Amino acid sequence: MDGIHDLGGMHGFGAVAIGEDDYVFRHEWQRRSFGLAQALAGTTPFCADMHRHKIELIRPVDYLTMDYFEKWMIATSELLKDAGLVNESELRTGRKEFDVDLARHPPARPDALVEAMKRGAELKFGDEVAAPGFVVGEAVRVRCDAPAGHTRVPRYVRGRLGQVVADHGVFQFADTVARGEGASPQHCYAVAFTADALWGGDAESASDLLYLDLAEAYLDRV
Amino acid sequence: MPTEKTPPDAGSLHHERGHDAYSHRHDHDPVEEGAALRVRALEELMVAKGLVDPEALDSVVEYYERQTGPRNGAAVVARAWTDPTFKEWLLEDGTAAIHSMGFKGYQGEHMRVVENTAGVHNVIVCTLCSCYPWTVLGLPPAWYKGSAYRSRVVREPRSVLREFGLELAPDIRVQVWDSTAELRYMVLPQRPAGTGKLSAAELALLVTRDGMIGTALL
Repeated sequence: MDGIHDLGGMHGFGAVAIGEDDYVFRHEWQRRSFGLAQALAGTTPFCADMHRHKIELIRPVDYLTMDYFEKWMIATSELLKDAGLVNESELRTGRKEFDVDLARHPPARPDALVEAMKRGAELKFGDEVAAPGFVVGEAVRVRCDAPAGHTRVPRYVRGRLGQVVADHGVFQFADTVARGEGASPQHCYAVAFTADALWGGDAESASDLLYLDLAEAYLDRV
Repeated sequence: MPTEKTPPDAGSLHHERGHDAYSHRHDHDPVEEGAALRVRALEELMVAKGLVDPEALDSVVEYYERQTGPRNGAAVVARAWTDPTFKEWLLEDGTAAIHSMGFKGYQGEHMRVVENTAGVHNVIVCTLCSCYPWTVLGLPPAWYKGSAYRSRVVREPRSVLREFGLELAPDIRVQVWDSTAELRYMVLPQRPAGTGKLSAAELALLVTRDGMIGTALL
């Protein structure tokens, strides 16, 4: 979606708060928000692309001012609501109003949760699952599609010319995964863009390169 | 379709966890307090419903705070500096080489390592959210997730790097890697001069998190 989360290339955000913001967690509640998202991902269940999209749906003014882990907490809460596991009133008060089916939503146990994190997610498919539409070295143009849902094409490369520099193989497709419509496995490519192709005369150095990993469906042959 | 995470099996927990961490906070920022209250409400609700085992939260946070972090990446870098065969493998198949050292898991399932040389400087970002190689660098610092870094490093990497104290000559090519899919990136920094006699373990101590993000030289 064309939301505020798609920050790449925007002006106006000032200096990076290098020293001030050189921390992972500053408050205990940030740790709890992070842990809640991880503990609930297998139980609810939701996946990273769904969680990301819920963050994208936060009002732009709030997106820019809220703490990162506050946004995580909101995304987690929204996914729980969608799954019918909580209601708005419960979230407001913190008090339980109805029970859920724990046989269908078993809580993550400590060891098993850490093991799941160490195992990671299944994101990739065998090469035989989908044929590649592009070859390394080929020039491509990023499609101009402007979907309202979750997508992994930043606006700053939309419609721009690049070159395929690597074929990473067959991966799940974030757009459909985030909608709960399945993996739509397809090739994902590293595509290189020159700074000149993206920023024209305002590039700091025309021949600097930007690399993005883009799914087959995002690209057109030139 | 593969799931993001396998639903965890039932296990057991036996020790009590205190919930008093919140009561010791002394700051009074209303925004922070609002978020803190809402997170606490969510956690208490989840525990009351039986959907969350609070000890599982402790475990996962502790895992990322204490058991993973940039020292994992530093071990990878130091090995690459001292073992040419490993370095070749790392640059060719970062996933397999890094997984072979046991650094495997969520947000590190698929890895690509990009090498800094005399003529090329690499830097990583995620403009759309905050994708980061958790398995080798731990969780990202706040600035990496912030609007300024994400908006600017793709458009004016040299200016951003200057703020970090890196002045890159015009003939050095800057390569910015925007993590837009499932691969996670790590920079292989240049080995500092005069370190020829150091062991891999000693070299690892020289490798910083920012060096592996690409916002510092070593």
